[in-house]
Amino acid sequence: MSQDTVVFSARKIVTMNPSRPVATHVAVREGRIVAVGSFDEIAALTGGRVDGRFKDKVLLPGFVEGHSHIMEGMMWSLPYVGAFDRRSPEGKVVKGVPTIDAIVERLQEAEKAMTDPDAPLFAWGFDPLHIGSVLLTRQDLDRVSTTRPIMVVHASFHISNVNTLVLQRAELDRTTNISGVVMGTDGEPSGEVQGIAARFRVFRVLGTNPLSGNLTADDVNRYASSCCVQGVTTVTDLHNDLADLTVEVYRAASRRDDFSVRLVPAMASVSHSPEQGVAKIKALRASNNDKLHYGIVKLVVDGSIQGFTARLRWPGYHNGAPNGLWYIAPEELPSIVAAYHEAGIQLHIHTNGDEATEVALDAVEAAQTATPRPDHRHTLQHCQMADAAQFKRMKTLGMCVNLFANHVYYWGDSHYDLTMGPERANRLDATGTALRIGVPFAIHSDAPVTPLSPLFTAWCAVNRVTSSGRVLGKGTEALTVQQALNAITIDAAYTLKLDHVVGSIETGKYADFVVLDTDPLEVAPETIKDINIWGTVVGGHVREAPRA
Amino acid sequence: MMVSSSVKTPVTVIGGFLGAGKTTYLNRLLRSDSGRYAVLVNDFGAVNIDAALIAAHDGETMTLANGCVCCSIGSGFLDTLGRILDDGTTFDHIIIEASGVGDPWRIAEIALVEPSLRLNAVIVLADASRIVTLLDDSRVGDTVRGQFERADLVLLTKVDLLDRVAVDSARSTVSALRPGVAVVETTEHTLPGLPDGAFRPASRFAATDADLTDHEHDFRRWSYSRSGAFDLDALADAFKALPPQLLRLKGACRIADEAMPLLLQMVGQDWALTAMPDGMAAEHDILLVGVGTDALPDTSALDAILDAALISPTSVTTADINRRQTAFTL
Repeated sequence: MSQDTVVFSARKIVTMNPSRPVATHVAVREGRIVAVGSFDEIAALTGGRVDGRFKDKVLLPGFVEGHSHIMEGMMWSLPYVGAFDRRSPEGKVVKGVPTIDAIVERLQEAEKAMTDPDAPLFAWGFDPLHIGSVLLTRQDLDRVSTTRPIMVVHASFHISNVNTLVLQRAELDRTTNISGVVMGTDGEPSGEVQGIAARFRVFRVLGTNPLSGNLTADDVNRYASSCCVQGVTTVTDLHNDLADLTVEVYRAASRRDDFSVRLVPAMASVSHSPEQGVAKIKALRASNNDKLHYGIVKLVVDGSIQGFTARLRWPGYHNGAPNGLWYIAPEELPSIVAAYHEAGIQLHIHTNGDEATEVALDAVEAAQTATPRPDHRHTLQHCQMADAAQFKRMKTLGMCVNLFANHVYYWGDSHYDLTMGPERANRLDATGTALRIGVPFAIHSDAPVTPLSPLFTAWCAVNRVTSSGRVLGKGTEALTVQQALNAITIDAAYTLKLDHVVGSIETGKYADFVVLDTDPLEVAPETIKDINIWGTVVGGHVREAPRA
Repeated sequence: MMVSSSVKTPVTVIGGFLGAGKTTYLNRLLRSDSGRYAVLVNDFGAVNIDAALIAAHDGETMTLANGCVCCSIGSGFLDTLGRILDDGTTFDHIIIEASGVGDPWRIAEIALVEPSLRLNAVIVLADASRIVTLLDDSRVGDTVRGQFERADLVLLTKVDLLDRVAVDSARSTVSALRPGVAVVETTEHTLPGLPDGAFRPASRFAATDADLTDHEHDFRRWSYSRSGAFDLDALADAFKALPPQLLRLKGACRIADEAMPLLLQMVGQDWALTAMPDGMAAEHDILLVGVGTDALPDTSALDAILDAALISPTSVTTADINRRQTAFTL
């Protein structure tokens, strides 16, 4: 057979193909898998060159991250000040900074490294819930600089802290009486700003908003590099206006041979009328290539649970907080869903609270009743509070779900104590229920909200332990390691309608692998997040992960 | 303290649930030809502007024959507003349509913190045929209720499609939410122009409706004049104690430890103290003029609330209050 064929031999290949679960050799030609099996089976078929560099490694299908954002690539140009360790696109473990002093120290280092004395210093990843609800004040940030504007963006991306200089320039002081400027105990603004008006004012005086800047090739390359570090070979950008500039940056990146991830951008419905959106998706699909897959649309129905902006059914929030916000009106959702459904487009619908989930189920049911469509695979994203009755409706309607397993670790304690109470918190991100009822599901990180790392996400779904060590619903909702691996490979691919080309190692599919030092199925389930990732293979191109 | 730029562009925010008639109202305002407006629609592709008004259409921005500009901005709302403020074109008025599930007050706050803007009014529209049901709805009732929380003026729309009993029911339901806030009954053909800052219906209100005409007399004024100064924290408490029937309060306001009196502007429960604009040097320490509904309590009761915030014994001055009032053009 062709001399272009390369046969990778490995200590073990876990294929995620139930018809041939395990192998030692995989033959690759023109970026695709020609054959999978033992040396004898493959050599007879292909006659290609054997590449033995992975002879001590374990290959799995490259991980599929079904819900993350390009902002992960944008954020890493800025210093990280979250409480937990996080791995950078350069492969470096950036230590968490779990105290105010440590945050200030991290910012002081970053400030010293800056050359332009007037440039604003932005940082990201802070969440007071992760450091015992201690607040970051303008006085803390003034210890970093009183002459350079400083802004720390919270993990939620909805709240920021600024130093006194920014408040002065924005003319926000004790006489300012708007809801988004939080006052400190001294009667002056504390430096915490949130909401449209305060954000607008602050970004105007800063002259720039790092969260809405134009996408650059560097951002996309950082995203791809993080994917390689974490073993991801297919990644979403699950909410994007897809402005012309972004489309051009994605086109250029995806056509480079050395670009090492398949991108699946979802068009944000909020920026288009349904008619415009349908036309835009059809046009974008025509520009798809093997590493760029347009076609899905994202709808956002409610907010976040820990921000108390998710819409919950009765009895609402455990601590009595008022119900959250609709981002799409319940009565408007059915017409939007119907427009895309009738056009044959797959929808990814963000619903955090169970009332939002109910409204989304109603909308899909109405669309399915009006225009029955086999295999639409509309997918609920996050869907953190759904009960068995809602999962049964998903099953009946032919829907998928992508559950936010990382929430168990990062906000499970907040859900237990504040937002949901013990019973509902134990069912948080109910992977076990989805499995029992038979709803196809994936699990995700929502990076950069939580770290991009499918092995960590799998670890969360297997162990269901919170950051304080509390275990939530492990007896009823936990996955086995095998089930969790399905949810970050073939089943995640299914939710993106890409399971015919990625998600398992079998003949005909893209040659996309993650290269591990250890087989996740052979280690203690508590340690799967610690398995070393050597790198990835994407379309037959080998890329060793950077290690800084 | 905020140093104000001398010319502030008024901002009016139009809110209301889906189907309340916001787009119809926008078209009415754009047709009125009474000023050069910038209109921002905080929703996707929903700007359904009469084709006859449009002179040029460039992507999401439309330029109208009368000089108005209209943008549908979806998720890029703040960027678009920033561009409008920066590009040097001056507008007589900026009108922002909030999304059907949005809280118009959150957007109105922009005009309270952006020095080049001043908040004129938050106008919330309510479909007379639906508002009672919507407020009772278990899913959206709280959202709809929240939209009225800071309304300066409510337009009850489509009243010609209902009988009197139904209209009265809608009116009393809205009035119960916000006692004292003016509720104006409208039809597609009697939508008012933009109110001035005192919510006194301006002359361009189509006053064909007898009920609407009645409401032109529904405002009362209150003047408060003292020498001395306020304690800022006590004043903040006093403002909270003022009755909701007081719609606006404006004027010179001396604060302890400040060399010069400041300009107070208060709308509903929201207030700001800024430097007195040039040419408006205050002759008095404290001279405030308020406008309220006809249910505004006696001035002695109102005076007592603010007196509690004074730091030193004061006496009522004999200033010519009427002359000073004109300087503040409420």
